[in-house]
Amino acid sequence: MPFIGFVGLVLVFSILTKGRILNPRNISLMLSQVYVLMIASLGVFMIMTVGGLDFSQGSILGLTSIVFAWVSPHGIVLGIVAAMLAGALMGAFNGFFHVKFKIASFIVTICTMYLFRGLCEYLTTHGPISASLKVLSLDETWLKILLTTIVITIGFLVIHFTRLGYDLRAIGAGEIAARFSGSRPELTTFLVYTFAGMITGFASFINVIRVGSITGTAGSQLETQILIALVLGGMPIGGGAKARFSNIIFGSLTYSVLERSLPMVFPVSATQQLVKGIIFLIVVALTIDRKSLRVIK
Amino acid sequence: MKEVVLRSENVNKHFGITHAVKDVSLEFYRGEVHGLIGENGSGKSTYCSMLSGIHSISSGRFILEGKELHVKSLVEANMNGISIVVQEMGTLSGLTVAENIFLGREHKFMHGFIKDTAQMNRETQQLLDSYGLNRINASTVIDNYSFEDRKLIEIVKATYFEPLVVTIDETTTALSQKGREELFKIIEHLKETNKTVIFISHDLSEVLAHTDRISVLRDGALVKTVNSNEVDADELKRLMVGRELDNRYYRTDYDGTVSDEVVLSVSNLSVPGEFEDISFDLHQGEILGIGGLSECGMHELGKAIFGGSYDRTGSVLLPRKGLEITSIPEAIKHGIAYTSKDRDNESIVLAINIADNITLPSLDILAKKRVLKKKELHAFAQSHADRMSVRMTGIKQYVFDLSGGNKQKVVLARWLGRDSDIFVLDSPTRGIDVKVKADIYALMSELKERGKSIIMISEEILELIGMSDRILIMKNGKFNGTFTRSVALTEEDLIAKMV
Repeated sequence: MPFIGFVGLVLVFSILTKGRILNPRNISLMLSQVYVLMIASLGVFMIMTVGGLDFSQGSILGLTSIVFAWVSPHGIVLGIVAAMLAGALMGAFNGFFHVKFKIASFIVTICTMYLFRGLCEYLTTHGPISASLKVLSLDETWLKILLTTIVITIGFLVIHFTRLGYDLRAIGAGEIAARFSGSRPELTTFLVYTFAGMITGFASFINVIRVGSITGTAGSQLETQILIALVLGGMPIGGGAKARFSNIIFGSLTYSVLERSLPMVFPVSATQQLVKGIIFLIVVALTIDRKSLRVIK
Repeated sequence: MKEVVLRSENVNKHFGITHAVKDVSLEFYRGEVHGLIGENGSGKSTYCSMLSGIHSISSGRFILEGKELHVKSLVEANMNGISIVVQEMGTLSGLTVAENIFLGREHKFMHGFIKDTAQMNRETQQLLDSYGLNRINASTVIDNYSFEDRKLIEIVKATYFEPLVVTIDETTTALSQKGREELFKIIEHLKETNKTVIFISHDLSEVLAHTDRISVLRDGALVKTVNSNEVDADELKRLMVGRELDNRYYRTDYDGTVSDEVVLSVSNLSVPGEFEDISFDLHQGEILGIGGLSECGMHELGKAIFGGSYDRTGSVLLPRKGLEITSIPEAIKHGIAYTSKDRDNESIVLAINIADNITLPSLDILAKKRVLKKKELHAFAQSHADRMSVRMTGIKQYVFDLSGGNKQKVVLARWLGRDSDIFVLDSPTRGIDVKVKADIYALMSELKERGKSIIMISEEILELIGMSDRILIMKNGKFNGTFTRSVALTEEDLIAKMV
């Protein structure tokens, strides 16, 4: 279904723009938006599979981008590692409050969304932070495609061929029963938030490659983009067994096509917002798997 | 003479390709208690759900007092004089007892836009008192009451407005002896006031004792309606299954001696508020029955042995390996299996498929160098599902579609797959029909012969006597009596120690 939605949308917009969205320049612009979104969606996909939500990924991207920019003069790889560590730490912070204090994940992550964003703006009070100049020379499409492919492939393998993937779905479908089956819901949930932060930390590298310098609002709106992308991709809101890996891929692609095509068809920004809202509603209403609604907790 | 108050004419129900109820035509007399029995999935509950407007009727009709019944919801059914106590939990948490009982009927207490809560509570309390349930407070939030009390509240809700026909679906399994007596008193009262009761239960002796006539369903079709005083349990079983049942329902041997080797040693185990200072040894090849009233702490004990209680003190030791069990993953790793009384929430993940459920506890042994292959997992699940002969469309079927007996088979299949040595089976046959019951007893005997050990926690006294080598009875969180296997053991012996 998400695939059909994606193809349908591409078709509709090809006709509306008389094929303009399919020209090479537009495709490359679309792609440039999709890398960070797709990578960060992987983490949130895991969080949503266990039945949680995460609104803090945009702020995490902002902060980890700053960390990367700081460390990058000492070596790009070191910078990536530092950004991933920082991301993992922030994810662990989310996970700790969610699991240990039993606060609903969307509340914890809305709080940390502000918290991390605040830090981000504080650190950029004296102007945007620039990364090492070497970084900008890495702005190559093949590199970004390669990195995204690697991350998504690792994610695919982990989710389909290791215990973690099975545990995630079982916990999302029924935490108590999963516990009585030998899964460790608390530990697993904590780890998933940590991983999600770490993955976004990695995405910050690609983000910095693209933008060069980081402002206080870097990465804002990413959290909603991820959620919308996953839902467009057919991700069940309550997680569980119906979560499919393809949700990540088609979701982020569909979202990017929409983002890119709307301004071409509707030049007025206000109209774009209106149409976006309507399209999301229609796509979700058409593609959502109502059978899985009965399993939403 | 006998006046027909309700009849159904060729009622059918289809769920997709499943033909759940086939051409059922039945007559119910005024003032009779009519038993409805059949195996799991034989269509009893579906039939009554159509009568009460929960499910729509595919074809056919119900005729109440000469008029065809057209109801689309439970509330409409109630207004027409039909009510039902459903098999699952039918009360809404977060509401008070009074709000639950008058759900959908609040208008009685409405003055314009204002609800007279005090009046509603007063009337509810009077109602509860008239049912002899004065221990229940009308204004208390329903979550404060036990499973059993909530069931009794549901019965009040289904009967207080004097409906013509009341369906009581598989309610007694949720009730203790005392609760059952309260229920039967209510049924007796309904009968005296010329109401009709449709009583669904798997407990045949109970059905025989409390009904006037019994209708047997098999595979969705009516087999026969008989007078309760003209049949016995064996005859009913034969009608339900459609063939002679294997004689070996329970164990037939009466040799209660077991190996001296202790495989599990529980000492000074306590969970605050549930049970205290429990110590016992489980031997190799032993079936140890633990019985008592439903609130005696035995269910929590099973959970605690498996490592599933958060605030446990004392120790659970595996003497052969010389190690202590403190968490569920450890318990599973060292060969302990557990089935919960609360099957749907604790034994099985309803919203994933059969294959995933069977493999879940065994993922660590199925992973080769941490890699899991779907094909191998499915082969594993298939072989164990086949071994338990789970009735399914395939291992990819979701568990929530299965009947209670089949769910339990999936639960057992996963532990057989894990090759567990110690089985803690809490209420293994709760809400399960005779045929699957017989399968489970046979499996337990087989496990015993293979040297596996079983702790069977059960509220069913006959099952305890029939299957156990040794029986421990619990009362108020402590052991209150021990029995060894014997032909002479009677229900009364056990009950005396329970209450």
